[in-house]
Amino acid sequence: MKNYSSFAFIIILFGASCVQKSYKRTVVFQLNTVGIPNIQTVGVRGEGNPLSWDADIAMQPIVKDSFYTATITTVTGYLFTEVKFTINGTLELKDAGNRKVVFSKGDTTIYEAVFNKMPSSTNSQQ
Amino acid sequence: MNLFKKLITPVAMPYWWQEVLLAVPRIVCGWLLCFDFGASKFGLPWSPAEKNLSIFEVAFWFPNDVAHYGGVFALFPIFFAWMGAFSEAVGGLFLLLGFQTRIFSFLIVCTMLVAIFMQQLQNGLWNALPAAGFLWAALFTMITGSGKWGIDYLIAKKMNHEKL
Repeated sequence: MKNYSSFAFIIILFGASCVQKSYKRTVVFQLNTVGIPNIQTVGVRGEGNPLSWDADIAMQPIVKDSFYTATITTVTGYLFTEVKFTINGTLELKDAGNRKVVFSKGDTTIYEAVFNKMPSSTNSQQ
Repeated sequence: MNLFKKLITPVAMPYWWQEVLLAVPRIVCGWLLCFDFGASKFGLPWSPAEKNLSIFEVAFWFPNDVAHYGGVFALFPIFFAWMGAFSEAVGGLFLLLGFQTRIFSFLIVCTMLVAIFMQQLQNGLWNALPAAGFLWAALFTMITGSGKWGIDYLIAKKMNHEKL
C-alpha cells in the first residue's frame, strides 16, 4: 500500500510542477577592440543556442578595428548566459573564467565590453 | 507489507568496516547527484538561484535533449526528462540518506543507463564514465539496500522489533 502511495506521490509532484518556463531574450554585444592590431574577424562564443563554444557568431564593425557589435536572440529559462569574445578565432581571457551576462528585466540586454579585459563586476551591461 | 519490508531491509554485512566501505560510495554518489548534477537541472531549495528553477521544475532545455534520443523518448519527452531529473536530484537525496534505497537505486540505474547509451557514449567512452560511476554505485545499493548506515536499516529494525 505504501508503495502505491509513493508512486502516487511522484505522479502528483510531476503534475504539480513540470517544466521551467523559458523566455525569448535578446542580447546586443558591443565590443571595444581599440589598440589591437591585424583584426581580421571578431566573434562571440558562449552558452545556449545560437551561441556555441565551438564556433563564432560574427560581430560586425561599427568602427573598423575599434568597435564591433552582434545581436543574438535566445530562448532560455536562466537569468544569465556566459560568453567570451574572439579575434581572428582566438579566445580572449585565457586561463580566466567566462563573462557572465545577466539578462535585464526587459526583452533586450546591452552588454558592453573591452576585449580581453574582465569587467570589475560580473556584468557590464548598461 | 511483506514486499515493503523486503524492499527496505538491507543486507547486513558481517563486519562493521564492510558496512563503511559500502556506505561511502552510496553517500558520495547521493551527495553529488543531489547537490550538483541533479540540483542544476531539477528545482530544489538548494538549486543555484541563477538557474531560476522553481521547486520540482525540470530545466527548460532537458526535455528538448531527451526528445532528441528518439523513439519512446520523443513521444513523452517531458515525462522522461522530469523522471530523469527527479531520479538524480531526489533519488540522490534518498540514496544519501539510505531511505527507500532500493526503489531510488532502481530509478537511478534506469536514468544512468539512458544517460550512458542515449547521450554520452556517442561522445566517447570517457564522457560516459561519470554516469557509469553512478550506475555501478546504484546497482550495488539496489541489491544490498542502505546497509546499516541508513534510515532503511532503522525502519527495518523497528519493524522486526514490533513483529517480535
